[in-house]
Amino acid sequence: MAQETGRQGADLSRDGATQTVASVDRGRRGFLGGSGLAAIGAVIGSGMPFSDTLVPAASAQGTAPAKGPQHLKYPGKNEGLVVLGERPLVAETPESLLDDDTTPTEKFYIRNNGQIPEPAKDPEAWKIVIDGEVNNRLELSLGELKSKYRIATRRMVLECGGNGRSAFSPPARGNQWTNGGAGCAEWTGIALADVLKAAGLKSSAKYTAHYAADLHLSGDASKPSLSRGVRIEKAMDPYTMIVWGMNGEPLPNIHGGPVRLVVPGWPGSASQKWLTRINIRDKEHDGAGMTEFSYRVAIKPMVPGEKGDPKNFRILESMPVRSLITNPANGAKFSAGTKELKLRGAAWAGDLTVKAVDVSTDFGATWHKAGLSKPKNKYDWQRWTATVKLPSDGYFEIWTRATDSKGVMQPHQAGFWNPQGYGGNAMHRIAVLVG
Amino acid sequence: MHAIPSLSFRRLLDAPLSRGLTLLCVGALIAWATPALAQNFTPRDESPEDFPAGAGRDETFYACTACHGFKLVAQQGLSRAGWEDSINLMVRRHNMPALDEADRARLLGYLEATYPPRAPAARGGWQNPFSKQ
Ligand code: HEC
Repeated sequence: MAQETGRQGADLSRDGATQTVASVDRGRRGFLGGSGLAAIGAVIGSGMPFSDTLVPAASAQGTAPAKGPQHLKYPGKNEGLVVLGERPLVAETPESLLDDDTTPTEKFYIRNNGQIPEPAKDPEAWKIVIDGEVNNRLELSLGELKSKYRIATRRMVLECGGNGRSAFSPPARGNQWTNGGAGCAEWTGIALADVLKAAGLKSSAKYTAHYAADLHLSGDASKPSLSRGVRIEKAMDPYTMIVWGMNGEPLPNIHGGPVRLVVPGWPGSASQKWLTRINIRDKEHDGAGMTEFSYRVAIKPMVPGEKGDPKNFRILESMPVRSLITNPANGAKFSAGTKELKLRGAAWAGDLTVKAVDVSTDFGATWHKAGLSKPKNKYDWQRWTATVKLPSDGYFEIWTRATDSKGVMQPHQAGFWNPQGYGGNAMHRIAVLVG
Repeated sequence: MHAIPSLSFRRLLDAPLSRGLTLLCVGALIAWATPALAQNFTPRDESPEDFPAGAGRDETFYACTACHGFKLVAQQGLSRAGWEDSINLMVRRHNMPALDEADRARLLGYLEATYPPRAPAARGGWQNPFSKQ
């Protein structure tokens, strides 16, 4: 069922594609082989069904992309989100839009690796399969997940593994996230651990492998667009959840609904959207996004910009500590004579908690402690506030840095360069002008 | 000389889709949608002219937009070796058809010249909102 729903878009597109391919085929022989054609047909088609109704306003024919950030036009999403790419659709939330204690769904960042599936026609019938190193293979509908297991709602940070990547120098390959590949929502669902217990893990169970209904960008239905997994210990963490609710509403399609994983504290790619299957393996998973430099960091630090050796890389598990100033916004102006600024922000630290947040108005020469709230539950972010004095009118930068519960602080720069730019958690800064 | 069309397989998006089909889909959507968020998304149409001119631009554009937007490419700032790795990655991992030597060199030439390593990267890094430069 899940599979069918996921493929629907592709079937549709194939119809559309046949005509289109025929009409433009003239020019492109010789470049792609036959298999390429089929794949491209499917890809092209996928973008078509709603072209009459939902073309973003900014995309009037022939208009060059505007300079500066491109804002998202997507039904139900906040237009302040900044588009990093439209195919696949990837959009980040500017820090100043992360000012709510709970990130509203409309402000939550979007990361896709493949094509966005059509919304499920019958969400309750969406099925997930648990198989592999288990005593009982399970096939469970969303309806059954809701009725058979203990339901919980938790506020937890979801963060893209590449968050902060744009601060690397030289640039690292991938979407150039600033700090906006993160948000903190209320997730409703069940503990993955409860389902795994029902399936009965064999002693050989070591690692999960997640599969989903979104098509690979090339349109090849046999190729997962992303298939990551986690060590079985993390899968058994009671906060690792199969969820169907986000902020009290059914999980929207664009956020992986009807059913996704939330593996808090670890790169968002482990939190598979449009979840259809979890295969339990007796060894580390080697699916799309698990190998070479994907979601991995260097073991022996490498010279920035050099070619990495995959043997020197390990999987990035817990995300590093990060803090943001969510108010004021970067670029805010204050009237002459303003002597004091009230600051608000958020901080989180992967599997850990945040011990302290400091702010500076003089590029780090002096630091002031911020007031820090307690997390609502494990993996929640912590909100902070601070009041800083300004000695005069003029241009100021405000810097923030957080320290995690093990005493590790955010660095001034994204360090430990790696080819795909993971683990970049440089201090956040904003500029303000007084007078 | 390379004829530009030899690499052009992207304009497919421009071809009209049967209107009946579109209406049908939209109808179906409304019937089973959870509110606003359930609808699908149409990427805006990119064209080679949206990106800096240079030898090999059009070929690169068409070769690299079969699967994803060019914006994903234009966001990067990589050395020639970095671009080579990227193309190899597309072929090895993502179903991109292998390029012959001439096409490869042409694409690399454009990518290397137009999107070299630089800081801050295209839109990334921290930019001073008050800076006039
Ligand atoms: C046959 C399909 C296909 C073609 C053709 C293709 N790519 Fe990709 N590319 C992909 C997929 C799939 C991804 C992964 C997208 C994701 O996970 O967000 C990707 C990602 C990328 C990324 C980001 C890497 C990352 O780790 O996120 C870059 C850079 C890139 N492609 C460059 C290129 C360039 C340059 C070309 C043309 C020479 C090209 N691609 C052609 C399929 C393709």
